[in-house]
Amino acid sequence: MGSLLSQISAVVAMNIRSLPKRLWMSLAMVIASAVVVAILLAFLAMARGFEATLEGAGSDNVAIFTRSGSASEINSTVTREQVNLVGDAPGVLKEGNTPQVSAELYVILDGIKKSSQTEANLPLRGLDVTGVGMRKGFEIQQGRMFTPGTNEMVVGAGVASQFEGFSVGSELRFGKNVWTVVGIFGTGGNVFESEAWADAKVIQSLYNRGSSYQTIRARIESSASIDAIRDYIAQDPRLNLDVETEASFFAEQGKQLRYMAFFGLFISVVMALGALAGALNTMYTSVAERTGEIATLRALGFSNLSAFAGTLAEAMLLAAAGGLLGALAAFLLFDGMSASTLGGSFTQVVFSFELSTDLVARGMVMALVIGLLSGLFPAWRASRIPVVAAFRANG
Amino acid sequence: MTDLYLIYKNMTRKPLRLFLTCFAIFIAFLLYGAVTALKGALDSGVEMSADDRLVVVNRINFTNPLPISYVQKIRSVEGVEKVTFQNWFGGYYQDPKQQVVTFAAEPESYLDVYPELLVEPEQRQNWLRDRQGLLVGKAIAEQFGWKVGDKIPLNSNIFSHKDGGQTWDFNISGIYTGEDEQMDTRSAVFHYQYFRETNSWNTDSVGWIGLTTKDPALNEQVAKRIDEMFANSSAETDTSTEKAFNKAFIEQIGNIGLIIFGVVFMAFFTILVLVGNTMALAVRERTGEIAVLKTLGFNASRIFRMVLAESMLVTLLGGLAGLGTAYLLIEGAKAAMARFLPGLVMTPEIAVQAVGYMLALGLITGLLPAFKAMRLNLATAFARG
Repeated sequence: MGSLLSQISAVVAMNIRSLPKRLWMSLAMVIASAVVVAILLAFLAMARGFEATLEGAGSDNVAIFTRSGSASEINSTVTREQVNLVGDAPGVLKEGNTPQVSAELYVILDGIKKSSQTEANLPLRGLDVTGVGMRKGFEIQQGRMFTPGTNEMVVGAGVASQFEGFSVGSELRFGKNVWTVVGIFGTGGNVFESEAWADAKVIQSLYNRGSSYQTIRARIESSASIDAIRDYIAQDPRLNLDVETEASFFAEQGKQLRYMAFFGLFISVVMALGALAGALNTMYTSVAERTGEIATLRALGFSNLSAFAGTLAEAMLLAAAGGLLGALAAFLLFDGMSASTLGGSFTQVVFSFELSTDLVARGMVMALVIGLLSGLFPAWRASRIPVVAAFRANG
Repeated sequence: MTDLYLIYKNMTRKPLRLFLTCFAIFIAFLLYGAVTALKGALDSGVEMSADDRLVVVNRINFTNPLPISYVQKIRSVEGVEKVTFQNWFGGYYQDPKQQVVTFAAEPESYLDVYPELLVEPEQRQNWLRDRQGLLVGKAIAEQFGWKVGDKIPLNSNIFSHKDGGQTWDFNISGIYTGEDEQMDTRSAVFHYQYFRETNSWNTDSVGWIGLTTKDPALNEQVAKRIDEMFANSSAETDTSTEKAFNKAFIEQIGNIGLIIFGVVFMAFFTILVLVGNTMALAVRERTGEIAVLKTLGFNASRIFRMVLAESMLVTLLGGLAGLGTAYLLIEGAKAAMARFLPGLVMTPEIAVQAVGYMLALGLITGLLPAFKAMRLNLATAFARG
């Protein structure tokens, strides 16, 4: 048994040391595996980043009310009366006598994207201090908060980085209205950083919204309160609203890009088949070139198992090297890359690609599967090379 | 005849390798064909939009409304030919997830400004006469099984009906088709008047205004005139060609599309490089045989042709099979995807381009080995062999 192991390790070491002799073929296999892994990781990192941006935004202790059937914040409208009624709903927390309710507006503006220099939809949210307090991890990173009752706005870090002209102190003209950016805020990288915020009352008057709002957020005891609130809404005909926890509202919107991940997975699998064909070619050629060598070893008393293991190890090593290379390339090219796309509310969501270690692990598994499959059959062939081939070969 | 036979014998000497090489090329072109068709479908909204039509939207953003009075004012602008307007209705059928792209528009002028919507004369009259009439595209009519004469309810995810609820009743009075296969026929249009009288806000605003000019050369001037007319008003306008407007909208989806297609094309070219490498190496193994052919009296150019022809044959074999499969895949997916992606077709341009890449691949991978084979020095070849 011990001798078998030492035979195998000797053959493996020999195969690996002789790789430079088959440089082009070996390189082809490494690259094939690298490309497959890089593509898979690019798609996975994109989907992961988008989901994290949206899912990180929602809280389980905040309920969000939208007009029934509207499905997104931009389409919804609610009246002042409804805002008051929601404040009396069971499960909605109060501070003293004031219900913790935030009535919000959501207006779309045209911003100029830095990357493409084209106009893109930018959300301007109208809210008040209570609403700001409901956002997890809110902090002013630069400048200060807007003063209620003025044309001042604060913008999320994502807006400041992806759109032109949103530095602190700059003035922006939308239609007839001039806004001053007085601060940049962060909310831990989630979707709110893709928004600009201003006083709800100012937006109502500047955009002719009268006393109406678009969505209502309310602090609740726990996600279990939602059912009681739903019953309350169902009993009052004035409340034609849908209610959900903020967490599930954003989780639903985060699913949008999931099809992208499926598409990526599908492309990678198809690609992997192509790469596998290339890798098999490489390994068969490698075995053919080493026919004399393998047969000689067999003549010297090495077992056919060692020939099998040697070839398989070579394939796995090349594929794993490719996998690492691909993961590295994906990391350098995509990790942290900032991108933006249209989200559920018809506005730009800024997010970054996130290449986490578990994704890299999935990429490596893919590489090893390629290595295993492309090594197995040629290794079988190598183990069947007859001893007599040593004397026929001219090498 | 003998040349062909020799090429065939050379190709099939290692059937497994031939199969694997062809398969890799097959995959590359399958991906190329399918993904390019997909990209074409995504871009078709821009391609199909007219260059000579202008769109007037609110300067703040196109989701903000414009006063209806602007329509009359724009009609009187010099150089303007036909003007229509529409409002986004946010329609859905039965379930909020089953969205129907629905506009409230002025029927007669709508069909004038968008002549690519083909409606039979009788249905057209039907629609113009019926205040509750709904003109629907062929794609959604098929999706929901609607026929002319059906009565259907549509809900709005934005507006409320005066009588409560968000449901409007419509009569399907016509089904339009597109003049081009790639045209998107997934929208429904109804009378603005009906919308205005029944929605609870009683608004006097419109979403956007579409117009044609007397001469496309006038477009820039007309756009400028319109925007200047409303400058410094409470609703400033932004006028652009429909193509520019649609392009800007598609660009909102952002660099994601660019990244995906970039990555796929990178993969495509990598496969080609890898396969080319394998094929070139395969010829090298045959140095000895080529030397024998030369000794037998095959002249240099004949050998050059044979080696080149072989690599061309292998690429075309794998590539055409891949492209053909991509075509079948697209044809098969077309019906199922019609709801999400109208205009999913493999255009002749895509096919021609793919064949171009195949020829280039065959040429590049075959040229160097063929050249080497042609110049092969007999003495060294036999010494090596």
